[in-house]
Amino acid sequence: MHTIKSSSGSTSKASRNKTKLKTVKLDASSEPPNKKLRTSAKPPVFDLIGSVPQPRPQESPVSSQQPSLLQPQIQRKDVKGKGKPPVDRDDDRLWVDKHEPTIEADLAVHKRKVEDVRRWLSEAFEGGPAGKLRKYRRILVLTGPAGTAKTTTLRVLAREMGFEIVEWRNSMSERGPSTLIDDFGDDSWMGTEALFDKFQAFLTRASSCYNIFATSSAIVSMQPQSHSQSKFLSQSSTPSLPSTSSSRPSNRHLILLEDLPNILHLPTQARFHDALQSLCSSSESGPPVVIIISDSGLRGENAYNDDAWDGAGGARWSKKETIDIRSLLGADLSTSPYVTRIAFNPIAPTLMNKALQAMLTKHFASTSGKPPAKDVVEMIVESSNGDIRSAVMALEFACVVTLTKGGGKGKTRRNVAGSARAVLEAVTRREQSLVLFHLMGKILYNKRKGDPPATHLSARDAAKERELDETLLDPSPLPNWLSEHDRKTSRVCLETIASDSPIDSSLLGLYIHENYTMFCTDVDQCDGVCEGLSWVDCVGGNLPSTTPHAFPTLALSTLHALPTPVPRKGQKVCKPSWFDVRNKEQDALEGVGDVVTWLGQGGASDERAPGRWTHANVALELGGWLRAVDRTGIAQLQLPRTHRLFSSLPWCAGGVGGNVLGEDENGEADEVDGEGDIRVLGALRDQKEGKGWWLESDDIEEAE
Amino acid sequence: MSLWVDKFRPKTLDDLHYHQSLSIRLKSLAASADFPHMLFYGPSGAGKKTRISCTLRQLFGSGVEKLKIDQRVFISPSKRKLEINIVQSNFHIEITPSEAGNYDRVVIQDLLKEIAQTQQVDLNAKHRFKVVVINEADSLSRDAQAALRRTMEKYMSNMRIILCANSTSRLIAPIKSRCLLMRVAAPNPEEMQTVLEHVAKKLKFDLPEEASQQIAEDSGGNMRKALLVFEALKMQSPDLSGSLTIAKPDWEIYCHKVADLIVQEQSPARVLEVRAKLYELLAHCIPPTIILKTIAERVVERVDEAMKADVMHWAAFYETRMRLGNKKIYHLEAWVVKVMSLYKHFMYNFDMADFE
Repeated sequence: MHTIKSSSGSTSKASRNKTKLKTVKLDASSEPPNKKLRTSAKPPVFDLIGSVPQPRPQESPVSSQQPSLLQPQIQRKDVKGKGKPPVDRDDDRLWVDKHEPTIEADLAVHKRKVEDVRRWLSEAFEGGPAGKLRKYRRILVLTGPAGTAKTTTLRVLAREMGFEIVEWRNSMSERGPSTLIDDFGDDSWMGTEALFDKFQAFLTRASSCYNIFATSSAIVSMQPQSHSQSKFLSQSSTPSLPSTSSSRPSNRHLILLEDLPNILHLPTQARFHDALQSLCSSSESGPPVVIIISDSGLRGENAYNDDAWDGAGGARWSKKETIDIRSLLGADLSTSPYVTRIAFNPIAPTLMNKALQAMLTKHFASTSGKPPAKDVVEMIVESSNGDIRSAVMALEFACVVTLTKGGGKGKTRRNVAGSARAVLEAVTRREQSLVLFHLMGKILYNKRKGDPPATHLSARDAAKERELDETLLDPSPLPNWLSEHDRKTSRVCLETIASDSPIDSSLLGLYIHENYTMFCTDVDQCDGVCEGLSWVDCVGGNLPSTTPHAFPTLALSTLHALPTPVPRKGQKVCKPSWFDVRNKEQDALEGVGDVVTWLGQGGASDERAPGRWTHANVALELGGWLRAVDRTGIAQLQLPRTHRLFSSLPWCAGGVGGNVLGEDENGEADEVDGEGDIRVLGALRDQKEGKGWWLESDDIEEAE
Repeated sequence: MSLWVDKFRPKTLDDLHYHQSLSIRLKSLAASADFPHMLFYGPSGAGKKTRISCTLRQLFGSGVEKLKIDQRVFISPSKRKLEINIVQSNFHIEITPSEAGNYDRVVIQDLLKEIAQTQQVDLNAKHRFKVVVINEADSLSRDAQAALRRTMEKYMSNMRIILCANSTSRLIAPIKSRCLLMRVAAPNPEEMQTVLEHVAKKLKFDLPEEASQQIAEDSGGNMRKALLVFEALKMQSPDLSGSLTIAKPDWEIYCHKVADLIVQEQSPARVLEVRAKLYELLAHCIPPTIILKTIAERVVERVDEAMKADVMHWAAFYETRMRLGNKKIYHLEAWVVKVMSLYKHFMYNFDMADFE
């Protein structure tokens, strides 16, 4: 996503050579002069965006002398430089950077999403149709998996709508390996201010500053860093926004928080919440804040701490360790009207395909060489799981490979396909590629060799299945006395799902447990599944993450027990209600605790006699008495209200508890936490929201 | 209005209404200089705790009744904080380590060490040792029990331990052998009636014979339950005459209905239904073992003679797993499904021998 604008940059003139230096200058502007010189003279820490061949030294003095004015100019040159066809040295930049979309039409994001963001932004700047929305458009949170063009969308819109992005970067990131030694001078300077103080200062200044260059570059320089991304800090080079004009409304910039402070550190998190909260509640409306969160993949087994037990009564889970919207914004803020959340989905294959093709056309229009075959592109799209950044990377790689191996392969494309697939898979294969929904489908539908294809499958998929069947070996026949265990070979590759699973065994167990009954036709099959769950849980014991065998065992025992083929009757995979129940239990347990304390303090007798009642006794035996007291309504007994959580247990007539069956898979009225103690689930929900992406109807429309 | 169970709880060994021989023995033990570690065990509501507090009073005098509650924070090896409520007087300390879940070992070790290393400072104290009362000792983990075993020997001079448990079967042998076992049996109906009448007399009203009989029979040897039921009844119908319907606790009725569900139909859909009920029970803090036991007993009542043994066998089997495991619902449900499957095959006249 951190790519570089291409040709649409409208300003012209000037050496593209300066492109890379901008960040250095940003640095310099806030630092003492001697420092400046040093920083700019040494090779800055550029990431991959190859700054290597650039004639740096002659530039740096200039920059140090007139930092604030120079920057926008360079910005302009920047745009121009990137815009040029790739004949020149910029060619060695990655495609991801080179072909970053600059206009909305180039974006592979679904139009509606872009529209959402655009509407929010215009409401934030202009206040919407009624002009009153501005007050509530304070924080926009963009979430979504990596590589779904969250940042790019924002940048494109910034360019189009003509506002400026002021971005916070943690200055720690400056210390790339190459600057470790040189940076000692920095230490004294940086040490004077804690990182978070700087962040706060940044927020204050950024929200009160105006669009004059001196100020904005001052803000920009708040973040001494040398990431290439900062080249987007000032987008004012777009003609719509004359850079030096102070007549523009002061609100035409927004604050982008992508590189967040370390919010896993609890005090920092609290301060972060406070800072955002005050930002929202302040009466004068500063610029809107956009926060971008990439969903970090949650790879099961280490998601638990080893001590995260959830035993019967007092379940205590450890603190959240993933960043998501809840931990980031805090419970109350994330539900407040000031915060809008727009979730980006993985990029739909059709859209991505189109975007990649467009990119190829553009690229090969100016360079010699052959674009890769269509099926290669398709393969890349397929394997990228909606991550366009990785897809572009893979595409570039694919072109390189074909080029270096000579033209021969390019001609006989068909033959290439096989080997190319292998290579590409090796390169682009991503660890977390199995969506939870798929995983559950794979296990619960229990497809085996020779199953008739499901009715909804296309002919192509059916053929694929047959192909797969051919590769499967039949198991050696079982002796007579084991004949009841005879099954056909499973189409599910256990190793693959175990390694690709987005969830760990304990969560898998819960999902299986919640859903298996719908897929069974008989109690005996249920028995098999349940027995497996019970056994794994018992062997795993209190430390759910310790045994590496849990996952395969669970999957296998389930596969073994389910009928083949599973009859399809529109089953829906539900989320486990276990967490819900546990929360309720937790609450009830608190109620019990309240009653125990109340009894101990002499609530129901003349003397204080703590310790006579245990929790279990209260829960089991006191219910009737408590209800009798409630009925007779004796006022002088100040019974804790919470006792109702456990004391009465009516048999509900319906038979089935509502939250078990009624819940459909995308159910937004979701259990989840609030307390932040169910870390796994919180992350999961986000995953599930995105899980239907390849089936979305609007995506299919796009396919034309 | 107050809880009669608490209000009329006997304070001294002389006040106790039943198990007189036990009281005499306890009294003489308290009188002797040499007081052993003790383990009180017996069914719930039999009067273990009452006897423990009476014994303590016999040992130290009325000072043990000046109680205070402390909340102590323990740090588990993985740096998790555990908050445990501790009830203590100058002479004894009472803990329920099962509140700490899996980390009871830490609590036991820290606490006992701390107590054991401090001498009794009160010169007027009758004994030089402090008493540690550990409630629900049978839910102590293996680790904690092992930790306890060593401390019991090491700090004998400063400390005595009184354990309180429902059954000794979950305690490891070394602990049992270090303690003097005191079995507190459930009172029989006559004894319970005496107690009920005693309470009625104190409250100055008349308790009809058949009412007390009914209450005593219904509560199955659980004195606490009997008194609670008695009080609830008194609240509903103050004269306690006529035919009394003693309401079972909600959860018990609920469990019975679940058992009915199991017997009525055996299908995956029914499994789902039963699961919802089990979840509901768990959400009301009913301990899973009790759930399993209650449902199993009810199922046994309703199935054919030939199946009863199997039902109980699997109940025991999954109860063990539940203890070892983590998510209780799996095991409860596994048992339910197992019973369903057994029942179904039984109905279809299958030969079950093939299936096990």
